[in-house]
Amino acid sequence: MSNPFREDLVSRSRPEPCTVVIFGATGDLTHRKLVPALYNLAVDGELPPGVKILGFARREKSDAEFRTGLEEINRKVSRSGHDAAIWSRFVESIHYHCSEFTDADGYQRLAAKLDDIDRERGGKGNRLFYVASAPEFFDDILENLKGAGLNQAAPGCWARVIVEKPFGTDLATAQHLNQVVNRTFEEKDTYRIDHYLGKETAQNLMVLRFANSIFEPLWNSSHIEQIQITCAENLGMEGGRGGYYDKSGALRDMVQNHLLQLLSLVAMEPPTDLSADGVRDEKVKVLRSLRQWDTPEKVAANVVRAQYTAGHVDGTPVPGYREEDRVDPESMTEAYVALRLMIDTWRWSGVPFYIRMGKRLPKKATEISVHFKQPPGVLFNALPGGVPGSNVLVIRIQPDEGISLRMVSKIPGTSLRLEPVKMDFHYATSFGKSSPEAYERLLLDAMAGDATLFARRDEVEEAWRFIDHIERAWHESGESIPMAEFDAGSWGPKEADELVKADGFTWRRL
Amino acid sequence: MNATETIHPELGREVPVGRIDRELRQLWAEDEARTNASLINLAIYSESPGSLEKNSRAVQSLTREHACRAMLIHIDRENPEATIRAWITAHCHLRSGQKSVCCEQIAFALTGQTKGRLRNTVFAHLNSDLPLTFWWQGELSSIFSERLYSLVDRFIIDSASWKSPAASFERILSALTDAPRLVVQDLEWTRTFQFRVSVAALFDDPVAQASLASVRAVTIRHHPAHRIAALQLLAWLATQSKWSLGPSLDLSDERKVGQVEAFSFESRGGAEIIARLVADPASAPLGKLEITAGDVSVEIDRDPGASHLGRLLRTPGHCLDIPGPADPEYAEDLVAEQLSRGGKNSLYRKILPRFLELLAEKS
Repeated sequence: MSNPFREDLVSRSRPEPCTVVIFGATGDLTHRKLVPALYNLAVDGELPPGVKILGFARREKSDAEFRTGLEEINRKVSRSGHDAAIWSRFVESIHYHCSEFTDADGYQRLAAKLDDIDRERGGKGNRLFYVASAPEFFDDILENLKGAGLNQAAPGCWARVIVEKPFGTDLATAQHLNQVVNRTFEEKDTYRIDHYLGKETAQNLMVLRFANSIFEPLWNSSHIEQIQITCAENLGMEGGRGGYYDKSGALRDMVQNHLLQLLSLVAMEPPTDLSADGVRDEKVKVLRSLRQWDTPEKVAANVVRAQYTAGHVDGTPVPGYREEDRVDPESMTEAYVALRLMIDTWRWSGVPFYIRMGKRLPKKATEISVHFKQPPGVLFNALPGGVPGSNVLVIRIQPDEGISLRMVSKIPGTSLRLEPVKMDFHYATSFGKSSPEAYERLLLDAMAGDATLFARRDEVEEAWRFIDHIERAWHESGESIPMAEFDAGSWGPKEADELVKADGFTWRRL
Repeated sequence: MNATETIHPELGREVPVGRIDRELRQLWAEDEARTNASLINLAIYSESPGSLEKNSRAVQSLTREHACRAMLIHIDRENPEATIRAWITAHCHLRSGQKSVCCEQIAFALTGQTKGRLRNTVFAHLNSDLPLTFWWQGELSSIFSERLYSLVDRFIIDSASWKSPAASFERILSALTDAPRLVVQDLEWTRTFQFRVSVAALFDDPVAQASLASVRAVTIRHHPAHRIAALQLLAWLATQSKWSLGPSLDLSDERKVGQVEAFSFESRGGAEIIARLVADPASAPLGKLEITAGDVSVEIDRDPGASHLGRLLRTPGHCLDIPGPADPEYAEDLVAEQLSRGGKNSLYRKILPRFLELLAEKS
């Protein structure tokens, strides 16, 4: 039986009432992102009635203590502010469950608690398990959920799991994690979250490409010369993040997931429909078509790794990477990486894709720039100096989300002089209303059973397959693939400039 | 022209109609730090005295979230002399705490017979290629015709302000038939939105959903000025539940107690459902909706001025009590909501026939 009052009411899949169980409930992600996201959904009336939140963590806490901690942070970070009246009702749906992640008995008690909640709420026992703990506990949590029978939903209900990144640290661990997940939950009930895909501009990428007829005919190697994806961060290892980052590095922390996901959206073929698998089938084809840099020589020719040395960011002196808190002084972990990628498909034959990601760059910005080919060398191109620059379509992911298009125009005057001009669309200028946070959208999608904006198993593994070759080459090559250096606050090492220069290009200035 | 004499405190600089575009360009040239933005043309039409100033304040508020070229139109059709005056100004807001984003506003005051002048003179200043949203305030007059709505993409009305709603809705229905692409957005319908969302949310509960066939009573409390909203909400409940209209009810006894009107429906299973509309001057526009289905009840209520709805589901085994957002109170905020939602408003078209039946029954 369906709810007739839902018909024609809103144009999105319907999130269903459920209990959200968060593993790692005392962590930063829960306090700063997940609970404020659920609160904002409640404020907007988007959260289905009857949603309960159950925090699962090791620390001894009462419900009241847990709620107080959440409220304190929500006051600071909530997108829609903090309304005491709404919070007081919302917080009644939040509970805390204390258990070790490895304690099977804790999961039996969890099952009993969930049954109580379902009885109290009435009706369906839908469960959404959010694994936001440290990655070393993923296996234990999933196995214990299965041990307590929590991976199986009651008839007419569902049990889903959201897994936070990292999805493994290499292909082998990702495959292992996927095996554990799929032993516990079916793939259709598994949601690997990549919050980049919940961002408005990332979602708009498909709309831009496939809802406008002017772009798709040009979206191929006949018209596009190169594509650059840049993810720049001005922060370094503040707040103790050096401990995690030094074990991970830029390639595994950002490129394997976020940036290869963006690449897939830019390069994929039009999907046959907008279903989760329709879209993900096309995305994974892009990853499968990546030319593999599977020898140290290929890696040396196509990938640059680097660390920053002491410098200045925003006028403030900052230490070098190896002097950062909790970073090994002899670390060989990259804080910057630049890659040249080739996608061996008919559409992208011969078009290089450049990806760069780095810490301690001059500013925080993520964008995709599509560089079109120069027009033929006749007419204006035949003039002295030619045409100043080609058309560039820029999709800004963050901050200042928007899209711009560079074109060439005549400077007013009696002589024929050409200059590039920019057509610019800023979300914040055109739409005064703030966009929902990525986690809000993604949590609702998971409650609605819509996995379009989540990574599928094969996507994750294909991405790792590509990344693993590079990691292996770095670790096995010794000094033959050097660690480049750049001053903190600059746009990266000269070796990265040479990588694109070898093809006759330069990095786009942000 | 002496500029100091022609600046209106709310409408800006008075300009000759023939120079509007040139004066707008000059307006931007005077202030280099600002960004001009518009996603739609928003025309606001009124025949009430003083509406230009009031609507200029509404545009100031609307442009916080909806960048537009605003055109305010006031027509005094009783005045025998045919005149037209125009003023230009810009409404600016800081976006993301840094960028000053401004929207142009052109205000027109017309007197006399306007035949042709609205379309030829006023609409000549629309931003080309941007859709036209036309907010009509007050009763529909003879200006509302195919000549007007054939130019409009989105037509906003507030049926709460109509003295003879049945006749006006007939004209709207006729326009919708003439122009299938026209989107009509009635602010009375917008006032029901969060009540509808809340009903849908509470009936997601499986026990509530199973009880739908047992609904026997519906009560809607409303402010007397918002009877149309209450009727539209009832029409939606009936349409979605596939209830057919039953025989007319005589509630003469209840009428003595208060402003109550009642309707009877027949469910798909043939059971009788009685719906009561209670007009209460102390109520919010929509004050309360109560649906009773055996031992299951759904209650959604709003105190006057409250920003949230109370939402309560009672079943024999459990109870859900969760607040939800309420619809805005002021017309400009309702318009802002409508502009945010966009869409084709197909649900409104769907419930209109049932709503008109209800309206006709008590007219």
